[in-house]
Amino acid sequence: MSVFTLSQAEREATLLPQLAELTAHHRANSAGYDRILSSLGIARDAEFGSIAELPWLPVRMFKTHDLKSVPDDEVFKTLTSSGTTGSGASRIYLDKEAAGAQTKQLGATLQTVLGGERLPMLMVDTVGIIKNRRSFSARGAGVLGMANFGRKHVYVLDEHDQPDVEAVKGFLERHGDQPFLIFGFTFMVWLYLYEVARDHGLDLSNGILIHSGGWKKLIDRSVDNTEFRRRFKEDTGLHQIYNYYGMIEQIGTVFLEGPSGNSLYCPDFADVVIRDPETWAEQPVGKPGVIEVVSTLPRSYPGHVLLTEDLGVYNGIDDGDWPGKHFSVLGRLPKAEARGCSDTFSGQAA
Amino acid sequence: MSLTQRFPLGDPVVVGDLVDRLRAEPDGGRLKVGDPRIIEFLTKFARKLLAPAVARRYPELASLGFFLRKSEIRKALTRLADDGDALRFPRGLVFHVPPANVDTIFVYSWALSALAGNHNVVRVSSRSAGAAEEVLIALNAALSEVEPETAALITQTQRMITYDRSDEISGALSLAADLRVIWGGDGSVRALRQYPLAPHARDLTFPDRSSFAVVSVAGWQAASDAERRGAAEGFYNDSYWFDQAACSSPRAIFWVGDADAAASAGEEFRRLLSEVLAAKQHVTEPAMAVQKRVSAYGAAVDGLISKMTFDGNAVATLELTEPAALPREWLGAGTFGSASVRTLSDLVPIVVRKDQTVSQFGFGREELVEFATELAGRGVDRIVPFGSALSFSAVWDGYDLLAEFSRLVSVQV
Repeated sequence: MSVFTLSQAEREATLLPQLAELTAHHRANSAGYDRILSSLGIARDAEFGSIAELPWLPVRMFKTHDLKSVPDDEVFKTLTSSGTTGSGASRIYLDKEAAGAQTKQLGATLQTVLGGERLPMLMVDTVGIIKNRRSFSARGAGVLGMANFGRKHVYVLDEHDQPDVEAVKGFLERHGDQPFLIFGFTFMVWLYLYEVARDHGLDLSNGILIHSGGWKKLIDRSVDNTEFRRRFKEDTGLHQIYNYYGMIEQIGTVFLEGPSGNSLYCPDFADVVIRDPETWAEQPVGKPGVIEVVSTLPRSYPGHVLLTEDLGVYNGIDDGDWPGKHFSVLGRLPKAEARGCSDTFSGQAA
Repeated sequence: MSLTQRFPLGDPVVVGDLVDRLRAEPDGGRLKVGDPRIIEFLTKFARKLLAPAVARRYPELASLGFFLRKSEIRKALTRLADDGDALRFPRGLVFHVPPANVDTIFVYSWALSALAGNHNVVRVSSRSAGAAEEVLIALNAALSEVEPETAALITQTQRMITYDRSDEISGALSLAADLRVIWGGDGSVRALRQYPLAPHARDLTFPDRSSFAVVSVAGWQAASDAERRGAAEGFYNDSYWFDQAACSSPRAIFWVGDADAAASAGEEFRRLLSEVLAAKQHVTEPAMAVQKRVSAYGAAVDGLISKMTFDGNAVATLELTEPAALPREWLGAGTFGSASVRTLSDLVPIVVRKDQTVSQFGFGREELVEFATELAGRGVDRIVPFGSALSFSAVWDGYDLLAEFSRLVSVQV
């Protein structure tokens, strides 16, 4: 059972009508979204010839404005994430249906690589990260969301954020000879799992690692995706490694690394468009640009076509492990800073 | 905790010692308003800024050098001519807190205060770069080119320093000052106001301001092609030089006159502006392009605009639903609210105290004086032609700075 089946042509044919309908739905139910499209001169009965023609919203809109397509009394869950410090938090509104859909589709996506059963799970984090359910960090939300896909969870870090080698050894003694699931954020996995496993000679060869969160913190250690995979395989035996790319503003949609590594794929309900930051036209394979993520899941808020602030590049179309476009994330756009009269560092004024 | 002495260069010093030195009587006699020794130093320093190599690298320093030429200084002092029996004297010790991110303000602030005969201590941001570094080099170099007595006097009375956040230092300098000058917006003003001044001292504050542009539709129609191109070029300088984040840079443009004619004039203006941007090889970074979209889309959500037009990434024009919806916060380099009004009088009700500069094109003096009179102090401190929005002047934010930096003594017999 895989959700990575549609060729690019099939994907266009399947998703475009759904996305056009979603666009109309959001216009009808979110006054703010409708005002954006009207101000752009897009008619209410506009036709779209391709996914790339659909109007996109900058993902940061959800940090600056409340955009939702459901009445207040149908909001079942509000997700907040603070991204980079100081940039405010995204607010994503889900009704019951949307909350169910995102859980279901995330599950379907991960089942592609995990199979149907819930596996014993090693969490590369501290249990403290999910203790305070009132105010979640994005990391806590990620850990909690993933926990559902495993059982018999063991946390790699103790309450003081120190690696608990005995706990990991115990887990491997109990479950290490069968497939087991490992989850964590990329830099934590590298710092706390790779190094501990290497130094203690732990065997992770039956593990399936799901990780996300970017490479920024690993760049100064000269670790990129290729190096990450190579060293895990050589030093710990871990060879089933799946990086994924996703964001709270499109919760439930993850772009998953294919089995042979180094390229991210779109599940059948999603797509990606790499845009030239000068012209906003779609880039050809091999030319970097700004990543736009497209998904049919966001129905309770107008987040179905979002321009991220990440840079990426198509590695190919219909020529990889799975059908459709596959791509890499290259990094973040730098922050736009202006020199002005107002000292934006007024905290320094004293 | 000690502070770094950037000009004149010196060993790190503790604040108490610095204050004692700055408050001492200078050897060559007290400074006067328009003191010739200060003028001598300023003109030497100005010459360094006008050197072709410097001016090419930092055009803003050439403007500064021009401002400090002898003839300009004379002009400013003449305007200060004492009225009647009153005599003018320096205030004493002035503590300047300039903004961290406009590299030249600290020099204007300091130079005018020194010209008024004050002893000065200027806190230069530790994040200063480029132009600010160049200024400090030029100041220190000028010191070795003036008479030894002058150099000694400057060293005794003038200081540019850098220190990291410190209650002790900011507190001591505030308490020692006869006048405290705070640039850098509301945040800086609030941060500094927690340090008490001496009872007789006061603050001169430069809080957050915003600005807009006005074009006379009739004036536009009467202008030659060259004048219209000149307007676009001037507007480019006003808006793009500091990424439109300077408080004097226009954030909205109002077309004043017939609405239909305004629409076609606006289109022509946008085309000319795009040509200027192309000729200047202006680059909009992707992050800035995204920032502008976020701001523009946000204004649409908020119901402030009815239409947005993007001419490439460089120019975003936001049609305001009403003039009162004009943006006063920074939206990203090259993002302009736009609206048409029948007369300048229509703008009067929307002006607030925060409004600083109105850049104008195509109006006659009488119309502008009438507009200013009608505003009656609601807001707007200066009305300048396109291309002059960023030109610093000795009258700023409604203050005659030389007057603010000095005191009057009256004598009656």
